[in-house]
Amino acid sequence: MLSTLGGGGGKPAKPSFVSYVTPEEINQTEKECSRKEKHPDLLPGEVIFCSAGPVLKSIKDDLFQRVVYGTLLCTNFRVSFISDEAPSDEEAAQLFKNKLYGENDIPLTCVDHIYGGFDDKKKLIISGFVKNKYPSKIIVCCKDLRLFHFSLAYAKEEDAKKIFQGIVYHCLEPKSLKCVFAFSYGEKTLLNKENQTKPKTVMFDTSEDWAQEIKRTKGNCKLISNNADFSISAKLPQFFIVPTHVTQEDLTKFDGKGIPIWCWSHHSGCALFKTASLPLMQEDASSQLYKSYMEGMLNAVAQTHLYSVKTEELSDSLPTVQDIQQSYSKFKQFFLLDNTNDFWMTDVKWFSSLEGSCWLDIIRQCLAKAVEVVECLEKENTNVLIMEEEGSDLCCVISSLVQLMFDPYYRTLGGFQSLIQKEWVMGGHRFLDRCNHLHLKDKEQSQAPVFLLFLESVWQLQQQYPPAFQFSETYLTVLSDSIDVSVFSTFLFNSPHHMASIAKAMLEPGQRSPVNWPTVWDWSVQFDSRAQDFFINPLYMERSRQDKAPRKMPRPKHQRHQSLPSSAFKFSPSAKKGFLKDETDSLKKMLRVKRLSRWMNSPDSAQASTREFFVAWQRRPLDYHGLLLPCLEGPTLRLWSQRYLRWIPEAQIFGGGSITILKKLADLLAEVQDLRGNLDRQACRADFNHQGVVARAKSSIQLSSAFPFTMPRSRSFKPAIPIGPLHSLITDSLADQEDEENLGIV
Amino acid sequence: MLTGPKSFFKARQRVPDVKDRMLSHGSSDVGDKGTLGLRLLPGEHILQKAVLVRKKLPCREGGGWLAGTLFCTPFRVAFVPQDDLKRDEDTDPILLEDHDVALACVEKVVAVGPSRMKVMTPTSTLKFVPEELLLYCRDFQVHGFLFDRLTPEAQAMEITCAIAKVYQPLQPGALLTFLNAAFGSVEMRQRLSNRPRDATMCWFDIASDWETELERTGATGWRVSSINHRFEMAASLPRLNVVPQKVLDTQLKNTFAHFNEGRIPRWCWHHPSGSDLLRMASFKNNIYCERDNVRNLEALVFGSGQQCVVVELAEEMPTLADLQQGHARLRALCLADESAAVTVPDEKWLSSLESTRWLDHVRCCLRKATEAVCLLNDGLQTLILQEAEDRDMNCVVSSLVQVMCDPYCRTLAGFQGLVQKEWVVAGHRFLSRANYHRDREKEEAPVFLLFLDCVWQLWAQFPSRFQLTPEYLLAVHDSAHLPLFSSFLSNCELERRRRSKFLQLLPQCYTPVNGLGKGLPLTAWHALPDPPLPPVWDWALQYSSARRSRFTQPMTRPDPPPPLVNGSLNTVKTTEEAPASVFLFSRGTFTSPSNLLPWREGGGTGLSKRSLRRDPPSESPLAPDWLLKAWTLAENPGSGTLIPQLLAPCVGLWKDCYFRGVLQVQAFRHPEATSSHPVDQLAREVQQLMEELALASAVGARGLGQVGLEPSSTRMPTAALPSMPPYTTWTSL
Repeated sequence: MLSTLGGGGGKPAKPSFVSYVTPEEINQTEKECSRKEKHPDLLPGEVIFCSAGPVLKSIKDDLFQRVVYGTLLCTNFRVSFISDEAPSDEEAAQLFKNKLYGENDIPLTCVDHIYGGFDDKKKLIISGFVKNKYPSKIIVCCKDLRLFHFSLAYAKEEDAKKIFQGIVYHCLEPKSLKCVFAFSYGEKTLLNKENQTKPKTVMFDTSEDWAQEIKRTKGNCKLISNNADFSISAKLPQFFIVPTHVTQEDLTKFDGKGIPIWCWSHHSGCALFKTASLPLMQEDASSQLYKSYMEGMLNAVAQTHLYSVKTEELSDSLPTVQDIQQSYSKFKQFFLLDNTNDFWMTDVKWFSSLEGSCWLDIIRQCLAKAVEVVECLEKENTNVLIMEEEGSDLCCVISSLVQLMFDPYYRTLGGFQSLIQKEWVMGGHRFLDRCNHLHLKDKEQSQAPVFLLFLESVWQLQQQYPPAFQFSETYLTVLSDSIDVSVFSTFLFNSPHHMASIAKAMLEPGQRSPVNWPTVWDWSVQFDSRAQDFFINPLYMERSRQDKAPRKMPRPKHQRHQSLPSSAFKFSPSAKKGFLKDETDSLKKMLRVKRLSRWMNSPDSAQASTREFFVAWQRRPLDYHGLLLPCLEGPTLRLWSQRYLRWIPEAQIFGGGSITILKKLADLLAEVQDLRGNLDRQACRADFNHQGVVARAKSSIQLSSAFPFTMPRSRSFKPAIPIGPLHSLITDSLADQEDEENLGIV
Repeated sequence: MLTGPKSFFKARQRVPDVKDRMLSHGSSDVGDKGTLGLRLLPGEHILQKAVLVRKKLPCREGGGWLAGTLFCTPFRVAFVPQDDLKRDEDTDPILLEDHDVALACVEKVVAVGPSRMKVMTPTSTLKFVPEELLLYCRDFQVHGFLFDRLTPEAQAMEITCAIAKVYQPLQPGALLTFLNAAFGSVEMRQRLSNRPRDATMCWFDIASDWETELERTGATGWRVSSINHRFEMAASLPRLNVVPQKVLDTQLKNTFAHFNEGRIPRWCWHHPSGSDLLRMASFKNNIYCERDNVRNLEALVFGSGQQCVVVELAEEMPTLADLQQGHARLRALCLADESAAVTVPDEKWLSSLESTRWLDHVRCCLRKATEAVCLLNDGLQTLILQEAEDRDMNCVVSSLVQVMCDPYCRTLAGFQGLVQKEWVVAGHRFLSRANYHRDREKEEAPVFLLFLDCVWQLWAQFPSRFQLTPEYLLAVHDSAHLPLFSSFLSNCELERRRRSKFLQLLPQCYTPVNGLGKGLPLTAWHALPDPPLPPVWDWALQYSSARRSRFTQPMTRPDPPPPLVNGSLNTVKTTEEAPASVFLFSRGTFTSPSNLLPWREGGGTGLSKRSLRRDPPSESPLAPDWLLKAWTLAENPGSGTLIPQLLAPCVGLWKDCYFRGVLQVQAFRHPEATSSHPVDQLAREVQQLMEELALASAVGARGLGQVGLEPSSTRMPTAALPSMPPYTTWTSL
């Protein structure tokens, strides 16, 4: 092993790569390890494009910059660095290991930015063709916030040029969907039918799934199944559910726009719908058409329950997709710092810069909006129709959050996966465009981490009520990473139609069988079963058996409402819920009036009523299997530290963090089991053997707050940095010599 | 004393059912029918009361409200819930029941009317019938009382005015009135003086406590000197000080003059690696030094070590003014005072928090302590914390170091001993820093609260390594705002003794050598009728046993024994032949300035000017973590040292403390979530099972067979935690 104890502290101003190894040494080592070509364990369908060596990777995980020699490869799946060192035992025994890509691998779609290091300057690389000089150093920022430094200075110039171009080309240049690794992977692997997802995930790709879902929530809407060939709309899933009063001809009118798609039914009978909104505000010929259509749809929604409906145009009150992208790209920069100095610079102004990014505020707004919708459903038993231009971005966020807050089923692992399947995958969230894995220039505008925003919101909920969620923080982190691994069909397409048409096109040339893309829910593709255990939250309170019996939902009586003539809309003097048929002369006006009355015009009163609703909810005893509402005050929203701080060695708490609570839990549980065993033995045998009480050998492993992503490593070498004055005076360490050089004494 | 006949008379005019209830309550309380279940302290009397008042409960206590009666006495505002069944008459009344507020703790009284609110002062008059009474307290709590339609209007108004009149806005003399109200009566004095003091903890006012501490930590070469027995040498120092064995008392005598206020280097703690932690005040430079004396001074400074590192605490630490300002801002932010109408929008919360700079101060202290821990861990050296007066930051840092390194200091008894040793006895100016008399604005600073916050940070990062709980820290925090305890009502041990009955035991009270007078408001104290003040550690006086039981949490495993002194370090020791060397550690670098020890002319050992750290001073912010990291990696992970992570994202706000007042933000933890944390459940179960096992084995040993032992029937079910696959695998890692 060649390691250089450079001074991260000594020369912090220079970002990295100060080699203290002379060129002669390099040559020697090169000879030694030359032609020791190593290949990574290639995945099925993986092809190596180019490779170069020796390449140095600098490891920053302690403050001594360690340098490792190895080979840099670029395949059709990943950029991979293969170290010349034999993997140490710890690494081999690493518990939480991804089977698809390792510690030193970067899936191509996971690459966020590439910087080139020219001498001391750092430049963002946009294309592979550089005019003058190829950079001697590559810095790769990943979407999962890892940071890699590779130095090409010792590779042959051709190799270096080739690998640089290769990496840049495959990571950053526009490409076609067919080039994504999932296609070659899918061809070569056989879908393991037995390996169906362990916690049963409902895929919502059959009409039975939907029928089951509507039965479960006791909704009274109808299932539409004649979109199986996408004849109604390419934007809608093959099966979906609409209010009973939507007629067949309504469905085919505007290419799926404006159709209220059922999301979830509240136990009172009212339901949540979402739709892609029609351009109502334009004054042109078609607008009148739209208005009357929309009015009909609202009618239909209203008739689902109690003739009341509330609409919510999400784009009016929530940030746009571009805002989200902008905010996130600002936010993530705080965690992609490539040297300690920068870290300390941001540290001083940490809170205000965090606030400046607005990312937490966007999360707050989403959660707040979801609480408002929950209030309508729970308190007022009003149907709610949320709309948005495409009906597949913030609609998905809000509707999934609402369901998560209401329904304990979605807080189980299987339920959560089903929810994502239902609202996001089948709901037609444009994963491909939002991630922009293909680096298409015209799609750059539509890139936005909307799904991540949802996961962040779920994390906030989860950390406020840990016993209510069956899945753990680690699960959410892994899921957020999986978005950028281009193997899974779940996150690869823009809509079910997109997926179906691609699959069909693949099939046409007369291939043997349809392509097998694994879904992300098949976790065995990525993790072995022991690692999958980390997805379970040990604090989860399972519903005890007597609770499991179906509870009778108290259906609130609405005597007054029911006495109204059924054909008319409810005439409410409060005008809060009211939806009057008489007012249908101008739908636009009506929509606006309605919206204004509740959502817009009097934000104070709306906020106050939401506040009141929240306080009322809070007064009731907390039921982890009932409705959960998040606290949204400034101090309660926190940074998802596991996701964002896990790779930053400076921010790891050794032997501390919340993980120790869980570990303590495990210890206690083991102790309880021990003691119980002892007691039982006692009860059986009257003669007590004192040897029986054996102190359990406690594990001495120290976990850090970044567990399980990075383990604290015990280094074999001692730091050569003088901690106490005495040491440094006696031992003539490397550091000391350098010190003298710096001072010019020698 | 009269038990308010006036108010009793009033009570009779009330609606019948209330009267009945009142009478039924009163009948259980023999002899004092007017108290409605309020248990008065001896000598306490009711000034005013209001019936059918509802107290707003903060969310952590379950939310909602509680109906009952509100009282105002000269000592407290008491609230007795209507159906308070749990009280047991046998126990001594505790000073403040769960719902009571000490008057001295109230900072502001606000009456909320139908359309307006008014801040009440002793002189103000009330022109409207209040609907709600808000009491803002110094300890970040806000108590809200709602007056009902059924509450007689006159009562609502009168009690508001009464509270406004008797609550003590801080001013000279107010404290005395309050103390008299609390402890003035003969009976109360007797009761207090008869209370035994906690024998399980060290109080550090007798020599044996210090000797125990020396033995416990394994320090050698030190002795307990009683040279300051009569506070002649240094008025602010304790009577007993630990000094090197080789310095005799006669030699010691001459050294006091070389230090500010006579606070010579004294031993605090011994690190398992062999280093000793000392603390001292700054040197007096203008004192001429005899040659003999130099030797004594050197011996004092170097202790048993070969080299000495002086950690200067003045430079990088926040000043008192910074602290005071930070704390005031934090208060304003967290309380979000309704009457002041300062509310921070949620999206501006983080930057407002940053601008208080309180967390920076907390980090700063922890960082300094971490540096000190790193240095101590190096072994075989003497580490001296130096501060100009040795009475503020020295207390913070030296006690933090011990909390971080010494598992014993994370237990209840150990922590109390630590505070006793490093704060109370060592002469932290509790009285001046609290500024109860409102006469020294400049000296007011929440130094002790800063320390508690630091400890909480450590707790938050290493929750499973503490025996004490945040609940306990909160109790200490609140008590520090309550001017009732001898621990917090004096500036040093001498003052404490003057006030207590021990004063007479001192044969003669000399005027101390260097000006005691200026620190002591002598007149005020002499005028005191001298009620014996209880120490703060007598928790039974303040808290019900139910709350006290939450002060500790069971430890799953005892911390591993401290690592033995590394043998290799001894080789280092032998090679060092040079005269003892002294370094100054400041801003993350070692230097050896020539004037570090004023009696050494011409400076150190020839190594001066040579920076051992390679950082230029301008990059100092890097240094501590650099050190820290190096140390962490080199360190055997098994040792029980807590090294906190100090990056901004890792430092939190002590929400359970600072947010108790804000009614909107109280919902951090849902009431049920706190009570049934699975870790607590399991820990209790472990204890229960252990007891059962002990019982069973005792029964078995006596050969009685299984007499009625049915473990399964008494077991608590391991509810809600049926499966824990991942975490059982960890234990086998």
